[in-house]
Amino acid sequence: MTENQTTQSFETALARLEEIVRALEVGQAPLDTSLSLFEEGISLVKLCNRRLDEAEQKIKLLQAAPDGSMTETDFGGPKA
Amino acid sequence: MDEMRTDRRNVLTVTQLNTCIKTLIEGADFLRSVYIKGEISNFTNHYKTGHFYFTLKDEGSLLKAVMFRASASKLPFVPENGMKVVVHGRISAFVRDGQYQLYADDMEPDGIGSLYFAFEQLKKKLEAEGLFAESRKKPLPKIPTRIGIITSPTGAAIRDMINIIGRRFPYAKILLYPALVQGSDAPPQLIAGIQYFNAARNVDVVIIGRGGGSIEDLWAFNDEGLARCIAASDLPVISAVGHETDFTICDFVADRRAPTPSAAAELAVPETAELKRKINNIVGRMELLLGRQIEQRRQAVRYFSGARVLSAPAAMLDDRRMNLVYLSEKLDRAVQVKMNACRADLAQRAVKLDALNPLAIFGRGYSAAFAENGELLSRVDQLEIGQPITLRLSDGEAQANVTALTPLPKT
Repeated sequence: MTENQTTQSFETALARLEEIVRALEVGQAPLDTSLSLFEEGISLVKLCNRRLDEAEQKIKLLQAAPDGSMTETDFGGPKA
Repeated sequence: MDEMRTDRRNVLTVTQLNTCIKTLIEGADFLRSVYIKGEISNFTNHYKTGHFYFTLKDEGSLLKAVMFRASASKLPFVPENGMKVVVHGRISAFVRDGQYQLYADDMEPDGIGSLYFAFEQLKKKLEAEGLFAESRKKPLPKIPTRIGIITSPTGAAIRDMINIIGRRFPYAKILLYPALVQGSDAPPQLIAGIQYFNAARNVDVVIIGRGGGSIEDLWAFNDEGLARCIAASDLPVISAVGHETDFTICDFVADRRAPTPSAAAELAVPETAELKRKINNIVGRMELLLGRQIEQRRQAVRYFSGARVLSAPAAMLDDRRMNLVYLSEKLDRAVQVKMNACRADLAQRAVKLDALNPLAIFGRGYSAAFAENGELLSRVDQLEIGQPITLRLSDGEAQANVTALTPLPKT
C-alpha cells in the first residue's frame, strides 16, 4: 500500500478511503486489522490533501486525427 | 376578352380557358408575392413527396394552398389544422382542376414566432414520450475528476467554465470537444460530441452549452436529434445554454439544467476547500469507529474479568464442593425412597403369593392322597380295595389302606 502511494491518484486514494471507512463501520475485523486500516486511512487522507494541493489545471482540446480517432492537445483557452 | 365573347366562331376548349386564366393571374404583379392570413384546415402532409396540401380559411372564404417539399422541409414547425398562420407565396391556377390556388413558400404562426411555435411543438412531443421525466435523470457524480465540455473553443462560455473549474477544483481535467454552437451545422457536431464521450468514456460528466444569444443563435440546442442523443447518453449531461431566461429543449432533456455555462461549471465540480474539509472529516469518523471498537473490546474484557471464576477461584471451588454435597445428599434420598417403594411392593406380592400356595391349605384341615408311584389321587376310580396310599397332611405323612370305595352319585 505505502509503496505505491507516491504514484497513487486522488481518485484511487479516495475510493480506498471509502472502503476503509466502510470496513471500520462494519467493525468485524480483528482489532489489529482495524488499527492498520486506520493508519492506512490517515496516510490516504494526507495523500488526498497533497494531490489536491498539487493539482495543476489540465485542459485538453480534442482534435480529430486523419484516421478518425481523437487526439488531445493542450488548450490554453480562447484568445480573449 | 370582349372580342372572345362576341366572336361565336372562336370556341375555346376548357384547357385553353384555364390556361388563359392562369396566364391572366400570373400576369398580375401583385399576386406574385402575397402574404395571406388565415386558419389552416384540411392539412395533408404527403408522406411520399413531402408536399403540404391545405386550405386557408377565414370566416367568409376558403383558399386552396400547396407548399412543395423544398419550402416545406425548411419550416421549423409542422403546420396543424386550426393553426392561425401568415403564409407567403404566389397565386396561380392549376389548369387541370380549373382552380386557382396559393403556392406557398413560407409560413409563420400568426401572433407568435415560428421558432417559438416549433419549440413548443417539439417540447410537447418529447415530453409526451417521457424524455423529460425526472426518473430518467441521472445523478451527477459528486467528485468528477474528468469533465467533458462540448462547446465552441473560441466563445466566452469555455473561458468562463475553465476559469470556474480552475478556481474551484483544479484537480479536474477538462476535455474540450470543439463544436459549432449555432447554425445548421451545429447540431450534428454537438451530437458527435455527446457520442464521442459516451464511446470513449474518458470523462465523468459532460457539459454541453454556449453563451447567450438570440433565439435563432440558440436554435441548435432545440434540435430534435440532439435532444434524443442527450436523452440516450449514459454519461450524465449538464445543459448550459445562454442566459438564465433562455430555455432550450436540451435543458429539459439533460440530467441537469444550468442557467449559464458558469453555473454549469459550479454545478459540475466540488470546491477544493470544501472537499478537503470533508476528506479531513474522515479522520474523525475513523477515530470514532476505531474508538468504538476498542471500547467494545474493553467492555468484553471487563465483563469476563468480573466473573467469579477469575476474581475468586477458591470461592468458586467452595461453591462446587457445596454443590457436590447437596447432590450426593439428594442422590441418597432418592435411593432411599426407591428402596422403600420396592420393599413395600415385595411384601404385597408375598401376601398374594402365600394365598396361592397349595401347601397352605393343609393348615386349614385339607389333605392330599398319593399312590405308591407318587400319583396324586383325585378320583375313586384310580383306587382298588386294599391298595396302600400315602396321605399328605400339614405337618407330615400317614400310610393307609383303602377299605371301601363309595363313588358319589353323578350329578
